[in-house]
Amino acid sequence: MSTPRLVEHFFRHEYGRLVSMLSRRVGVQNLEAVEDAVQSALTTALESWTVAGLPDNPSAWLFRVAHNDLVGGLRQRTHRRRILDENGAEHVGDPEDGPGPLLAGEVQDDLLRMLFVCCDDAIPPESQLVLALKTLCGFDVREIALRLFSSEANVYKRLARARNRLREVPPRIDDLTPEQYSSRVPAVHQILYLLFTEGYLSSHAETAIRQELSDDAIRLASVLAEHQVGKVPETSALLALMHLHAARITARQDASGGLILLSEQDRALWDQQKIQVGLSWLADSARGDVYSRYHAEAGIAAEHCLAPSFEETRWDRVVECYSLLEQIAPSALHKLNRAVAVAEWQGPAAGLAVLEGLEPPSWLAGSYQWAAVLADLHRRCGHDDAARRYRDVAVKSAPTQAVRELLQRRLRVGA
Amino acid sequence: MPKYLCMQRNLPSADGQKGHKPSPAQMQEMYAQFGAWQAKFKKNLVDMGGKLGQGRLVTTQPAADGPLVEVKELVGGYMIVSAASLDEAIEVARECPGLVGPGSGVEVIEIHTP
Repeated sequence: MSTPRLVEHFFRHEYGRLVSMLSRRVGVQNLEAVEDAVQSALTTALESWTVAGLPDNPSAWLFRVAHNDLVGGLRQRTHRRRILDENGAEHVGDPEDGPGPLLAGEVQDDLLRMLFVCCDDAIPPESQLVLALKTLCGFDVREIALRLFSSEANVYKRLARARNRLREVPPRIDDLTPEQYSSRVPAVHQILYLLFTEGYLSSHAETAIRQELSDDAIRLASVLAEHQVGKVPETSALLALMHLHAARITARQDASGGLILLSEQDRALWDQQKIQVGLSWLADSARGDVYSRYHAEAGIAAEHCLAPSFEETRWDRVVECYSLLEQIAPSALHKLNRAVAVAEWQGPAAGLAVLEGLEPPSWLAGSYQWAAVLADLHRRCGHDDAARRYRDVAVKSAPTQAVRELLQRRLRVGA
Repeated sequence: MPKYLCMQRNLPSADGQKGHKPSPAQMQEMYAQFGAWQAKFKKNLVDMGGKLGQGRLVTTQPAADGPLVEVKELVGGYMIVSAASLDEAIEVARECPGLVGPGSGVEVIEIHTP
């Protein structure tokens, strides 16, 4: 007996699929029971499939086992019986003739619905993100903590907050109204954006770990874009920026996990197919008169992807996009990025001028990004003392060894 | 070739803690490891056995004194391997993913056949 290979991330994606489908059927109030049933179905699958081989339809097999386990468990709990009775036979029927669980369209609907459930406005965004990582991406608490550079205790706390809220959602009216769907779209965008940037910008040493998050964000955003509620220019812009960044992800690190600056990257490593997909999403995002922060960020990414070399980048366009981004989403970080682009376009002194008089908020002032940019601009202006001072701050606050090495290499003064 | 009964034993782990429940990603990893293990020891794996379920003790004796420990409490599951020696059988069992670790061990016993 040999075990046939399963597609990559099969267990993780099945987890998200099953949690979405089952919590729709029994109500999100029962989310924990749903997650337990799914976990136990996957465990049973692991034991059974390794001995007896894969069933013809592994997804259907899992659904049946998880559904039986869940319904059996809920039936036993008398106080749940009422809920099940109220919800009618649909929820307790024989799963064999239950609602066709495996129509691709419906699965996508369920995933999307779960994403909107996670984006409940009574749940703080950082809890929404953790909830999505747990329920839709199938990561456990340890894995989430590892990915978010957070402690397990903190992840538990955020998760508990989200679950407490979902338990309060009254049964039977937990199906979201069209108004709720529309009003939560911006929150859904934000969570997908966070999911993507956690992967893409993370200084995590393992590329595979970062890529996983980015891929999941693209997977879910693609589902969103296919649905009526998500067919808005912002979704297209979000997908554009995801693809245009993801196209370059492998070029950002060398073989030993060290980070590589944009100016040093081997552009031949960029994934041209992803760039094309990103550009077509960008074109699609231009319908209507919406210009969101995602449009601005996708525009910046597109300029980088289209530039034949770092020097030939259309820095004026990049600067323009950063200005628009600052207008839409005012942030000192965006100003800092604009200063970097201005420095490439009009020289380091012009870059410094952008930052003149800016009092960075404390979260930015204490970060390595702020100090690193100032160190670099001062160094290029020949202000060696200031450059050294900022470099020391930057190196000291570097979050990882890879970043620290990059800073030491880039910010060497007087070389 | 002699056959050996391998019984998975649930053990109290050293620090009294049960191992973490595996995450879906870890399960996929285990699935792949298990496949590799099965391929490696294809000729040894006679009967993959399984987990033990409900059972009943049948005897002519009156009820035994004291509490009777059910085998299921001690043994999670079993499989039968064929090997040239006990040591070889132990090697097959030891390399089985998830069998030997915190809270779990395997007892390998030769089966005498006439």
